[in-house]
Amino acid sequence: MDKFANVGWIEMLLMTLIGFGVVFCVLVLLIFVMKGMGTIFTRQKKAEKAAKAAAAGVAVAEDDHHEAISDQEIAAAIITALKLYKSNLHDQESEMITIHRIARAYSPWSSKIHGLTQLPERK
Amino acid sequence: MITLLQSNFILDSLNDFVSQSGIGLFFAPGGWKMAVMIGLACFLLWLAIKKQFEPLLLLPIAFGMLLTNLPGAEMFHSEFFAGGHVHWEHFAHGEAGLLDILYLGVKLGIYPCLIFIGVGAMTDFGPLIANPKSFLLGAAAQLGIFATFIGAYALGFAPNECGSIGIIGGADGPTSIFLTARLAPELLGPIAIAAYSYMALVPVIQPPIMRALTTEKERVIKMKQLRQVSKTEKILFPVIITIVIALLLPSAAPLVGCLMLGNLMKECGVVDRLAKTVQNELMNIVVIFLGISVGATATGDSFLNIKTIFILCLGILAFSCGSAGGVLLAKLMNLFAKEGNKINPLIGSAGVSAVPMAARVSQTVGQEYDHSNFLLMHAMGPNVAGVVGSAVAAGILLAFLG
Repeated sequence: MDKFANVGWIEMLLMTLIGFGVVFCVLVLLIFVMKGMGTIFTRQKKAEKAAKAAAAGVAVAEDDHHEAISDQEIAAAIITALKLYKSNLHDQESEMITIHRIARAYSPWSSKIHGLTQLPERK
Repeated sequence: MITLLQSNFILDSLNDFVSQSGIGLFFAPGGWKMAVMIGLACFLLWLAIKKQFEPLLLLPIAFGMLLTNLPGAEMFHSEFFAGGHVHWEHFAHGEAGLLDILYLGVKLGIYPCLIFIGVGAMTDFGPLIANPKSFLLGAAAQLGIFATFIGAYALGFAPNECGSIGIIGGADGPTSIFLTARLAPELLGPIAIAAYSYMALVPVIQPPIMRALTTEKERVIKMKQLRQVSKTEKILFPVIITIVIALLLPSAAPLVGCLMLGNLMKECGVVDRLAKTVQNELMNIVVIFLGISVGATATGDSFLNIKTIFILCLGILAFSCGSAGGVLLAKLMNLFAKEGNKINPLIGSAGVSAVPMAARVSQTVGQEYDHSNFLLMHAMGPNVAGVVGSAVAAGILLAFLG
């Protein structure tokens, strides 16, 4: 604990500010590094596509946004939209009971005495 | 017979037997603490099993706590690690038990680094590479660490303890354990339990803060589709990050280096067997060792005091400030962003690590206001940036206070 004997509020506040500042600076530096890397790769990709398109004699699409969307993402979007649409479709129930009790009149068709186990009567 | 019972030898023997039994030790001075800790361990086991609060870690932690507080069992000897040093002579003389040996992995900072290899192998940094601005949200969410650092000092903690308590705000268990084992090992039990408990409570803590700091209009902002990231970029990312951070902040190199090693194993695609091992077998084994040995440090004497209550309160403050920091910076960034490039501020709260739970919270809250708004991948950017940010913050605190 001796190490911190001279540490007071001022030192603690300074440590906080410097610490938070360093976290920010390091991560901001990483943003520039990653942006730089992203730019290089995006350009490279564009150049490759342009070369391919030129070889095939097809004009390169201008819209980068659409290029970035892969087939899988389109499929995922369609599936999600369908799921959302179908999840909103419900059978509308009237909530009325439609089964009515029917009083059955006697019918020989349901009579057991005319069942198949009855043997023909010999007279 | 009566003469036999009245003899001192028998009475003394019976007395010794009862006083040396576990139950007898509960009635010894300070024995009540062990009873309370056993009750607390059982409560944590219930939380882990019944409520499924981070069960993979809370279960071994709770069981380690149970083992270390069984009176008379003497499963863990904190005196072997007194004064912040390992007293190797006890290990050389064979006095150390299983938990003492397992705790060496925590004390020497081995387990958190091994877990970080596994975390790296399970993390997709693609959303962060596609949108590097997410690093800013990850940095802002570290506000929780530094606000708690000052808050802990105001409550009378020593500066090294403040650093350990502050790191709870990183919402990153291995980082908290790594830093605490070096700065304030006596607080390891309460800090680990606070960190993991609050990580499990992220879906409860964050949404009210997110709603309080955003307007309904902001919550329905739809973000632009992220660009596709090539495999080469994903392979270069861990290498570049390791070099940059290790050069700027060597004290953060062990954590960041291990995280990026795991990620490189996953992304390069040539060591699938290793990547699978670190994601599954290695990770699981280390989690068991880490959980039991961290739980073992939570003895009655170290846990049942006012400091633990302060740590639990400061933990909430840390998580809340971290979440608020991310959301507020996202709002600030929107002031300067062009229409169409705006950020949904709900993803800012994902800047506290807690991967991937914090990102899922952003997605869930976002969907409450617009079912067609999918924020998960956008929130994963700040979420993984938070992992890097908290490791950097731990490195800074270690450099200042270690």
